[in-house]
Amino acid sequence: MTAKTSIPPLAAEDVTVEFGGTKILDNVTFSAGPGCIMGVVGPNGAGKSTLFNVITALMPATSGRILIHGKSMEQSRGTVAYVPQYERVNSRIPTSAWDVVMQGRVRHAGWFRRPRRADKAAAEEALNRVGMWDRRKSLIYELSGGQRQRIFVARALAQGADILLLDEAFSGVDIASQTALMDVLMELRDDGRTIMMSSHDINHMAHYCDECLCLNCNVCACGPPREVLNEEVMTQLYGPFGAVPFHGHGLAGDDDGHHH
Amino acid sequence: MDIITEALAGPFQYSFMVRALIVASIVGVMCPVAGVYVVTRGLGFMSDGLAHSVLPGIVAAAIFGSAAASVFAGGIPMAIIMSLISGYLIKRVGVGEDASVGILFAALFAAGVIMISVATAQGISVQVQLEDMLLGNVLGVSRVEVFITLGVAAAVMLLLYGLHKELVFSNFDPTGAAVVGLPTEKLEYLLLALLAMVVVIALQAVGIILVISMLITPAASALQLTRSFTGAMLVAAIIGVASGISGLYLSYHFNLPSGPVMALVAFSFFILSIGWKQKAAGILIRQRA
Repeated sequence: MTAKTSIPPLAAEDVTVEFGGTKILDNVTFSAGPGCIMGVVGPNGAGKSTLFNVITALMPATSGRILIHGKSMEQSRGTVAYVPQYERVNSRIPTSAWDVVMQGRVRHAGWFRRPRRADKAAAEEALNRVGMWDRRKSLIYELSGGQRQRIFVARALAQGADILLLDEAFSGVDIASQTALMDVLMELRDDGRTIMMSSHDINHMAHYCDECLCLNCNVCACGPPREVLNEEVMTQLYGPFGAVPFHGHGLAGDDDGHHH
Repeated sequence: MDIITEALAGPFQYSFMVRALIVASIVGVMCPVAGVYVVTRGLGFMSDGLAHSVLPGIVAAAIFGSAAASVFAGGIPMAIIMSLISGYLIKRVGVGEDASVGILFAALFAAGVIMISVATAQGISVQVQLEDMLLGNVLGVSRVEVFITLGVAAAVMLLLYGLHKELVFSNFDPTGAAVVGLPTEKLEYLLLALLAMVVVIALQAVGIILVISMLITPAASALQLTRSFTGAMLVAAIIGVASGISGLYLSYHFNLPSGPVMALVAFSFFILSIGWKQKAAGILIRQRA
């Protein structure tokens, strides 16, 4: 992790979550700096989704805390946005791409208020940013998987969030759309935003992430993929056969010299 | 021309018909508008359960209080209690959604029927006719009930309008809405409470059994025809009012029960909407070919 004296946008301090006596997260500590894509890697049941739920304050931590720009989540609502898995949204509600992006402005407009010109301008800018302005009138179910996710990213931008969370947001997104979506995310990263995402596709994560948080209830390793995605960590995560599906593209190999 | 004028205006020389027309129009707007949430959220069984479970509340209000407004005095609190208990069973006890609705709906409706029969056997006059409750009796609506209906409808409409963007967001993507800081659980209970009020209003017109026809049928038809949630609400309200009013006319001129006629008119709108959509889809396919 880069040594920054400033407060990191996203940090977890000794976060533990217990459910019915079972530890789902155990003393998870990490921090993600600005301009960083952090991937969360781990097997099923490693606590990835729980970690996202704790960060978004949907679930309380049993102990420890999450800090958003050094403050609690409640104090910093609006700076964190969540990009849902498409299967989790109610697609029976006829919702256009424009409607979705305007949802990002719901808190800006305020209770009982109609959206104002500033809200519409923000939505327009966000749609242009992800290259979806031309499709603003399309219903969300008429779009491809990757286009939908770009719309949800645009919603996060309209909200003014500088931390984007994508939990398994690539499921059902084909390779071509994945690339288009990642191009958008990398651009946002270059603007200084913090992006945290999880995926089952280790190669995808190794390719795009600046940092990888290797999670299996506790943090097995955290750092640049080429340093942490080695055989030892992969075994800790996925067991003795875990390293097999990982085609490291020489990433882990680069590090062999420093290894014991 | 005179025949038409007579056919249209004739019924309204009676004040009970004027009151019926007002209530049928309000129900025709309120049910379909709330119904768009019901259809898109799959709350049909919940609404049906709400309608059935208000019976003991209405009977209790009729026995202990004023008969004039017993549908509201007993029905609205009962429906809200029912939605809160089912929410508790679903969220805290872990009973499945349709199971918990089914359990409460059956138990409360049974309790209501037994209350009527016990009260009747005891010689207590219950101003509640089971048949009116089941099938509605819009022609028997009193002046007071018209005013209460107007008031309740205005309150529901104000909340649905004022909280539109919040309600749609939390129904579309509850997690995303919660992350932004919307109180999604409270909004969910609010939606159920509003639904409860709409169901109680509609009881007078179409009764317990047919409430579902005014809630679901116009909304489902409108969703076939439009591409937006708000658009569906508008079209659904038009279909609902048309069903309510034409149902009233048909029942007057052909001496048929008004609630069931409204339900069948709504159903015929649904058939038309499907036909329309199929035809539109056919044209699109031909254009592409």
